[in-house]
Amino acid sequence: MSRYLVTRLGYSLFVLWGALTIIFLAIRIVPGDPAAMMLGPGSTQEDIEALRGRLGLDESLPVQYGRYLSDVARMDFGTSLWLNRPVASEVASRVAATARLAGAAAVIGLVVSFPLGIAAALRRGTPLDSLISVVSLLGQSVPSFWLGIMLILVFARHLQILPSSGSSGWSHLVLPAVTLAMPLIGVLTRLVRSGLLDVLYEDYVRTARAKGLSPRAVLVWHAMRNMLIPVVTVVGLQLGNLLGGAVIVETVFGWPGVGRLVVDAINQRDYPLVQVSILFITVSFVVINLLVDLSYGLLDPRIRVQ
Amino acid sequence: MKRILGSRSSQDSVASLIRGYMSGSVSRRTLLRRLSALGIGAPLATMIAARPYVVAAQATPSDLEPAGELTIVLPRSLESLDPHGAHSVEEATAVVLSMVLDTLIKRDPGTGDLIPGLATSWEATSDTAWQFTLREGVTFHDGSEFTSEDVKASLERVLELEGPLAPLWGTVDTVEAPDPLTVVINTTEPTGTVPVNATLLFIGPAAGIAADGFWNEPIGLGPFRFVSWVPDSELVVEANEEYWGGSPGLQNVIIRDIPETASRITALETGEIQFTYGVSADQLPALQENPDLTIDSTPSYAYYFNWFNAQREPFTDARVRRAMWHALDVETMASELLAGVGQPAQAPIPSTVFGFAAQTPYEYDPERAMALLEEAGYPDGFETSLQWNPDSGPQDRELVQAMISYWDAIGVTVENLEKERGIWLEDLVALNWDMNFQTNTVRTGDADFTLRRLYISSANRNGYSNEELDEILLASAATGDQDERERLLGEACRIIWEEAVGIFPFELIENYVYRTGIEGFVPAPSAIPEFATVRVPESES
Repeated sequence: MSRYLVTRLGYSLFVLWGALTIIFLAIRIVPGDPAAMMLGPGSTQEDIEALRGRLGLDESLPVQYGRYLSDVARMDFGTSLWLNRPVASEVASRVAATARLAGAAAVIGLVVSFPLGIAAALRRGTPLDSLISVVSLLGQSVPSFWLGIMLILVFARHLQILPSSGSSGWSHLVLPAVTLAMPLIGVLTRLVRSGLLDVLYEDYVRTARAKGLSPRAVLVWHAMRNMLIPVVTVVGLQLGNLLGGAVIVETVFGWPGVGRLVVDAINQRDYPLVQVSILFITVSFVVINLLVDLSYGLLDPRIRVQ
Repeated sequence: MKRILGSRSSQDSVASLIRGYMSGSVSRRTLLRRLSALGIGAPLATMIAARPYVVAAQATPSDLEPAGELTIVLPRSLESLDPHGAHSVEEATAVVLSMVLDTLIKRDPGTGDLIPGLATSWEATSDTAWQFTLREGVTFHDGSEFTSEDVKASLERVLELEGPLAPLWGTVDTVEAPDPLTVVINTTEPTGTVPVNATLLFIGPAAGIAADGFWNEPIGLGPFRFVSWVPDSELVVEANEEYWGGSPGLQNVIIRDIPETASRITALETGEIQFTYGVSADQLPALQENPDLTIDSTPSYAYYFNWFNAQREPFTDARVRRAMWHALDVETMASELLAGVGQPAQAPIPSTVFGFAAQTPYEYDPERAMALLEEAGYPDGFETSLQWNPDSGPQDRELVQAMISYWDAIGVTVENLEKERGIWLEDLVALNWDMNFQTNTVRTGDADFTLRRLYISSANRNGYSNEELDEILLASAATGDQDERERLLGEACRIIWEEAVGIFPFELIENYVYRTGIEGFVPAPSAIPEFATVRVPESES
C-alpha cells in the first residue's frame, strides 16, 4: 500500500511539473504582451520596452523558466502584474470560493441523482424510467449560461425569493450551485441507473435475495456497493472539472471564483497569476484523483489485495 | 442642469443658463454648447458668451445628515485601489478613489469647470512654476493632518511608478513643499495643463502610500471612509462626517461586482442594487419604460474613431482618407445603431471636452467619395483591412459591419479583422494595421490629454506627421493662458479633422440608471460618477 502511494505521489509530481511547463510556454507563445496590457492603448513602444525590462520579460526564455521553477520550488509564487498583490493569497481565496460552489454542486448532484437513478433502474421500462431518462438527458445537455440566466429570471426577477448574484450568504449559493449541478445530475443519474441494472441480475444479488434479505438490504449492501466504483470515478473527474470549468457560472452569478480569475489573468497576460492559478487547479485535480484511487481499495477489497 | 441638457423647457433654460454664466457657475464652453443645443445661433451665442474664462469658486459641500445606503454596480470589475500605478486611469478604480481620496482641484460634474478641492487657490508664479495653496485643518480618515508633504509624496509616486498617468507629468522637474500649506510644482518647460492634471492626482498620506498593502485598505481625505473590500465581490465605504466639504448624504455605499450585464439589469429591476451605468443600446428602451428607474444622460468624454495608417498606401493621400469618410452615412448609423448611446461627433474630441471646436461635418456623398478616389488614382477602389477588438465600445461589431458595407459601395473592399484585445493592442502600438477602429476617453476632460498624446509626430501613433500641428500642440501645452489654450486646441481639432487623420464618427453618451427617488445625482461626462451629494429616499434606507 505504501509503495503504491509513493509511486502515485511520484506520478503526481510529474504531472505538476508538466502542467507548470506547458502553461509557462503556452502563455508566452500566445501573442500579446503583459507590459502593453498594463500600459493600455495610450502607450508608446518605448514605454512598453522600458516596462518589459523592469518586469524581467526581456530576458531569454530559459532564464525566465529557470527562475520560475526555482521560485515555485521555494513556494515563492510572486506578485500579480495586473493586481499588484501577492499571487498566492489571491488565488487561495478564489480557490476557496470555487471549492465552496463545486462542493455544494457535488452534494446537490449526489442527493438528486441517486434516488432518480435507483428509481429508474428498479422501474425499468416504465413511463417513470423514460421520464427520468429524458430529464437526465436534458440536465446533461442544457448550456449553463442559458440555465443560469433562466434561473435568475424566474427566482430573482419574478418570484424575488433568491438574489441574482453575489457571494455573501447561503442564499447566494443556491442558484449557481444548482446551475453547476445540473450536468452532474444528468451524468450521475444515467450512471447509477445503468450500473444498478448491470448488477441487479448478478448471481450474488439473487443469492442475497434467496437467503431472505429485505429488498432494501439487497439494494444497499449488495447491489449498490458494487456499482460505486464507476460512480466515484466520475464524481472525482467531474469535481476536477467543476474547479476549473465553473467560469461561465461564476461570470453569470458574479461569483468570485478561480475560473473567472484565470480568464481575466489570461486576457491581461498576467503571467504569474495565470501560472499559479493553473498550478492550484492542477494540484486540486491531482489530489482529488489520488483520493479517488485510494477509495477504490476501501470500496472493493479485491483491489486492496492486489 | 439636467433639465437644460434635455432641453425640456427652452425658455427657462436660456434665462437660467445666462444667470448661471453671469454668476460664474456655468462656463463659457458649457454655455455655448447648451445654447447651440437649444438652437441659438453661434454668432449670438458668442456675443452672449464674450466673458473671460473664470474659475468658479464653488465647491461640492452638502451639509447633510448621512442616512441610508446605496448599492451600486460599475460597468467593469474593480481591480485595484492604487491611484498612482498601472490602474490609475481605470474607471472602476477612479470611482472608488473619488469617494475615499481627494484631489487638489476638482471638476464640477455638471459644468465641467475646475473648482477648488484640497487646494483653495492655484497660480502660475513663473513660466515654469505652479503654486498651490492648500486647505487648512483637513485631516485624513485616521486623524493625521494633511500637509504639503502628502501632495509631494503622491505626485512623486506617480512619477516613480511610470503608470499611464505619469506622461501627464512628463515635464515635472521638482515638487517643493516650502511650508505645510504650500506646494510648488516646478517644470522643465512651460506646462499649462498642471491644474487640469491635478484633477486626476489623488492624494494619499506621505507616511503610508508606499507601504505594502496600504492600497488594499486606503486611508484618504475623501467624503467616504474605506471599510472593506473583497475583490470580485464587494467594496464598502461609509460616510466621513468630518469631510471638509460637508458630510455626504449617504451612510454607506456598497459597490457590488456583477460582471454579467443581464444579471446586473435584473438586480437593478428587483431593487437588489440601486445604481448602475454603462448599459448597452439594446437594454435602454426597456429601462426607459420602467417607472421604477430613472435614466440620467450626458454626452461623455468618450468617442469612436477610425484611424488610417498614414504610412501605408493608399492612406498616405488625404484625398483617399476624406473619400473614406464621405462614404459613411454617419447620421444614419448613429440613429439606427447607437440610439441613446451615441451621436455624430463634430470634432476629433467630444463636445464635452475643453478645447473642443465644432467642425463642418463630412457629408454622406458616395459620388464625391468615388470622385476623390479617382482623383487620387484609385478609380476602381482598392483592398484594405480594418482591425478592432470586441471590447471596444457599444455596438462595435454592428458599426464595423455597417462601415465595411458603406465602403464596399464605393469600391473599397475592407477585410474585417476582429482581434483579441492583447493581440490587437500589440499590433496597434507596432503600427501593424491599415485602419483601426476603437473608442478612446479624454480622461482629463481636456483636449491636451488626447490630442498631444496621440497626434504629435514624435508619438507616431498612426503614421501621420504634420509640423504645423506639432507646433500648435506644443504651444498649447506651454501656455498657462486658458483662452489661448482653448484657441490653439481648437485649431488642432480643425487640422486633424480636415486632414482626416482618422474618421471621427461618434461621441458617446453616458447613461446612468438608478432607482426612481434617489436624489442629488449629477451625471458626469467623465464616467466617474460622484456620490457625495446623493441621497436615498427614507423607504429604501
